[in-house]
Amino acid sequence: MGGGADERGADGPQLRVVDGEFYPDWEAVYRDNVDRVYRLMFAKVGNRPDAEDLTAEVFLAALRPLRVSASVGEVRAYLSATARTVLAGYWRRTLGREITVLTDDEGLESMPSETAAASDATARAALILAGLPENYQRILQLRFVESCSVREAAAALGISVAYAKVLQHRALRRAAQLEVDG
Amino acid sequence: MRARGARRFVADLLRGRRPRSFRADDTDVGQLRAAITLRAAQPGSATPREEFVTDLHRRLADQLATEQTATPLPAPRPVVDSTRRRLVAASSIAVAAAAAGAVVDHTVISRGPAQSGAGGEQTLIPSTGQWRTVSASADLAEGGVQGFDLGTVVGFVARTGGALRAVSGVCTHLGCRLALDAAARRLDCPCHRTSFAVSGELLRYQLPVPPAALPQFEVREMHGEVQVYAPPGPV
Repeated sequence: MGGGADERGADGPQLRVVDGEFYPDWEAVYRDNVDRVYRLMFAKVGNRPDAEDLTAEVFLAALRPLRVSASVGEVRAYLSATARTVLAGYWRRTLGREITVLTDDEGLESMPSETAAASDATARAALILAGLPENYQRILQLRFVESCSVREAAAALGISVAYAKVLQHRALRRAAQLEVDG
Repeated sequence: MRARGARRFVADLLRGRRPRSFRADDTDVGQLRAAITLRAAQPGSATPREEFVTDLHRRLADQLATEQTATPLPAPRPVVDSTRRRLVAASSIAVAAAAAGAVVDHTVISRGPAQSGAGGEQTLIPSTGQWRTVSASADLAEGGVQGFDLGTVVGFVARTGGALRAVSGVCTHLGCRLALDAAARRLDCPCHRTSFAVSGELLRYQLPVPPAALPQFEVREMHGEVQVYAPPGPV
């Protein structure tokens, strides 16, 4: 066993696990996946504080077992599985039912690039908006996507603040209805 | 009342705040889901804040540092067959082997995709190997176990029910050398009270995650000698 340092040197490939790339340490796992996990969570909860907490929960739970090196595919599959559990737990805790889920297709493995992910989110929103009458579309676009205040949205639409609130409420109810209808 | 809960949830969402919890019912689900989907389309929302990423990095480093110095858990846990954890833990072998300096260059640890079960199906097959004698057949009677040290690898060979089996003598957790408890036919890790059967299966451990089973060597019996397929000895 002596001379271990000499043996692991110069020539020849590095020790590798055969099925694909692997991470050298937990920091590499973290750096390579933190954005992805966050993005996944934001798409499912729609707000930053929760997305941050859930991202932290995933890594705090998953990194202990991942302290040793593992292949990229294994790590991502494991993080995705953890993310699914964490998201389900979050909904059970907060609202008592699962509002959104991470399906098996929505893992870190199959995750598109940042720009593609953004356009995915835009496309999903556009799909909802497309099924609505124009005034509903506009109020939801202004309030949710463009983050306008009620006042700003009301001004943009030329309606009263009170009516903007009513309109937003009705629009969201209709959007929910669309989803039920198919 | 419930409608108010949903409305407040949406209002929080629009303010970028953490929505407060309430008991949602069926009619709320669709609205909340639509609200989240719309909100997720805000431009620039998909990237985490730099401070958050840095802060979480620090928390993780703290957590891992604490665990490494943690005292052993009170009692040994029985082996739990958790497939997912085992799958991830399996790769610790590569680290253990490297840490122990026990594997020479070009050595690859072969590994089937997710089917690594309790039996230690992983077989260590060196890229460049040779059959090397580890014991005289006569010295390894039925039920016997022998340790061996070939310079490049260490291990144990056992004859059980007439069959020979050779396993690595390095703990798959952090690479400590296993000690044979011949009476119990067990291999004990001196570092964290992990124990393996002489067949390589994990018997007990006190770690957060079960270490993988011990890798096997190919083993044969020729001309009165027990041999394992291993890398050539150091010159």
